[in-house]
Amino acid sequence: MEFFGPVLDGFNVVLDPTNLLYCLLGVVVGMLIGVLPGLGPAATIAILLPMTYGVEPVTAIIMLAGIFYGAQYGGTITSVLLRLPGEASSVVTVFDGYVMAKQGRAGTALGIAAIGSFFGATVSIIGLTFLAPLVASFALDFGPPEYTALAMLGILLVATISGGTKIKAIIAAAVGLFLATVGRDGFTGAERFTFGNLSLADGIDFVPIAMGLFGVGEILYNLEERHRVATAPMKVSNVWPKGKDIKEASGAIGRGSVLGFFLGILPGGGATIASLASYAMEKKTAKDPSRFGKGAIEGVAGPESANNAAATSSFIPLLTLGIPANATMAIIFGALLIQGITPGPQLISNDPELFWGVVNSMYIGNILLLIMSIPLIGVFVRILRIRAAILAPITALITMLGAYTIRNSMFDVLLVVIFGAIGYLMKKFGFEPGPLVLAFVLGSLLESNLRRSLLVLEGDPTGFFTRPISATLLVLFVVVAVWPMIKSVIDKRKSGSLAALATQEKEKENA
Amino acid sequence: MKNRMTRRAMLSLTAAGAALALTACGGNVGGSSDASSAEFPNGPVTLTVGQAPGGSTDLIARAAAEGMAESLGVSMPVVNKPGANGALATQEVAAMAPDGQNLILLNASLITITPLAVSEDEVVSLDDLDVLMGLSQDDYVMVASTESGVKNLDDIKNSDKKLSFGTTGVGTGSQLAQELLMAQANIDGTTVPFDSGSPALTAVMGDQVQVSTVQLGEAKPQIDAGTVTPIVVFSKDRNEFLPDVPTAIESGYEVPVSQYRAIAAPKGLNDAAKEKLVTSIQDAVATDTYKDFNKQNMLSPHEVSGEEVVTEWNELAAKYKELTEEHKISLAGK
Repeated sequence: MEFFGPVLDGFNVVLDPTNLLYCLLGVVVGMLIGVLPGLGPAATIAILLPMTYGVEPVTAIIMLAGIFYGAQYGGTITSVLLRLPGEASSVVTVFDGYVMAKQGRAGTALGIAAIGSFFGATVSIIGLTFLAPLVASFALDFGPPEYTALAMLGILLVATISGGTKIKAIIAAAVGLFLATVGRDGFTGAERFTFGNLSLADGIDFVPIAMGLFGVGEILYNLEERHRVATAPMKVSNVWPKGKDIKEASGAIGRGSVLGFFLGILPGGGATIASLASYAMEKKTAKDPSRFGKGAIEGVAGPESANNAAATSSFIPLLTLGIPANATMAIIFGALLIQGITPGPQLISNDPELFWGVVNSMYIGNILLLIMSIPLIGVFVRILRIRAAILAPITALITMLGAYTIRNSMFDVLLVVIFGAIGYLMKKFGFEPGPLVLAFVLGSLLESNLRRSLLVLEGDPTGFFTRPISATLLVLFVVVAVWPMIKSVIDKRKSGSLAALATQEKEKENA
Repeated sequence: MKNRMTRRAMLSLTAAGAALALTACGGNVGGSSDASSAEFPNGPVTLTVGQAPGGSTDLIARAAAEGMAESLGVSMPVVNKPGANGALATQEVAAMAPDGQNLILLNASLITITPLAVSEDEVVSLDDLDVLMGLSQDDYVMVASTESGVKNLDDIKNSDKKLSFGTTGVGTGSQLAQELLMAQANIDGTTVPFDSGSPALTAVMGDQVQVSTVQLGEAKPQIDAGTVTPIVVFSKDRNEFLPDVPTAIESGYEVPVSQYRAIAAPKGLNDAAKEKLVTSIQDAVATDTYKDFNKQNMLSPHEVSGEEVVTEWNELAAKYKELTEEHKISLAGK
């Protein structure tokens, strides 16, 4: 009872009409800005911050939190319909989501994404309710060596999940890793590949690369296609996920949610790796992995559950430890300070009403989002009925706007155009943009943490193996890397007699 | 067909609504501007910030802009143009017309510390700007992890283990202050740069590094909760928010490093506009909201005139250069 008392009080806080209204306002704003790639929740919250000065702290944070997780729902829509992933964590959604849209199953993709998002977020909120203080220290146990191992694992997964040929995926990933090195070196201040241009000093942002390669590249490619053959307009049968779809996706949703919850706790990169790992996991465990990249519903359901679960659990370090896990959390941290509340280890005991009010508002907020997104899907899929001659320029405009709003810089718009051209060429020569973009995101995580680890470990690489978490991750890395080889050996032997295989396996077990 | 018609009608309705809202806004904030276009302010005054939204610099800009907008009677949007520690935004604003409609929020470290870490052609100078007024001082504090058992500077100096020291990045005050202290106190440790304050602080909390130097506003909640131990602050005098923590200077080390912030305009602003802007900043910092903001973010007011800012920052730049040369410190790695 001692535990549930404050939790229930928290529900009283949320059900206050003002708080409900602000919760609704937050999720609506969040969903809208989520649809526009580039204008992320961080910038939106910074702009709307003054609005919250006059209200109670808990009301303010309920709204700001709503913007954050609402944006996660909105981001799916452009990923699936227009092939525009607004955030690194929704890149993998594009793989199968956009294909599904092309097959006329946009409604199914968006529907399952909404259901998965709702489920993932709910699992995460339940985790937040019961486990927050227990799992919070997980974030602190992750030092540079652990991040290094995690990033390595992530990059390996990038290579394995791609739909195209493996060698082309690796080439694209290598280019992504190279692009991640552009900018002022964080350890020596030396300029790398900036050509004296200050706009490149902080490196290239994710958004211009993703918008260019995915969005503009696709537009250019389609223009060429249309000249060659008269393509029929995209079919849009406004189907909801059927019972069969939901059954197919339920495993993916469950696994993605748990994965997302744990990886989301990690500051920096957690959500991206969660969605990536979820996709890889689904592809590995699927009976027929070749369906992936060709419209597999699990390929949308898993990652979408994972990134929403991760978004929710990223509140754990902020609310229990006072560590902002990402830029949005940093602004919410500032908002709490302005309200005279110190986000820190004492928040739960000093302001239980705030903590439980915010946590419980997420249950309500997610229900609101689910109720809103289901009818909106019907509206959004109609976008696909718009003729390409009209839709393409609008999509291009969204990408440019999105890139501009990141830093209010025309330079980033120019980058979209350049990467658009590269994306077109890649598509023409059969390279997938996915591995490039994901390797780019993970590359800087890998490089800086590897160098940081070597500083902390005094240049001794054995330190990676003596730390339990990094050792476990590295073992996992080896298993994932070696497994396909073992599997191919087994498959070859399978073509021999089954009996021989049985003895082989027995021998292996004995050895 | 009918469907399409309604959609079009709805579109135009929305557009009309948006236009209406815009005019309403214009009427609200533009009040005096149509009377005479030559007079300052002529429409909204933009305050550019060279850092991402949500950081302490951005929050300071927004707090100041709120009061300034009220005083000037025009809206004052804050625009973030992060890049190269703020050099990008500063160069951009410095090149704009000096009509007072575009301002920049400056970090002292860009002028005083960054030049020690980057090549000469990237250095930003105050010569291209009219500094209007200083705002506040933001102190750095060195904190140690509780697990390390380090309680004070002597513990660090006498540690048998080689300790790791986190900084908030290359060319920051955190790095400069810590390196200067380590050189003067003969501390043999490994410096580990992080991307910003938050990861550097998180690393100390998890004992991934044993010591970090971060901005006080970030560290204070953790200091209060006892999850990290404050060692020294790097300001000239003891910080009002941490009166029990010694300064590096009183422990006998010459490390006068703090972050300062000021508002500036492109060079060549006319006197009338300048006066109006300075008055508006003075009005803004006098409001209770702004004063509370300073307190909540552990900022000490340092509201000096533009001329004083220029003198102080140039002196600091020279001082830092001299100190790093004297102690053979290179901020650009070893």
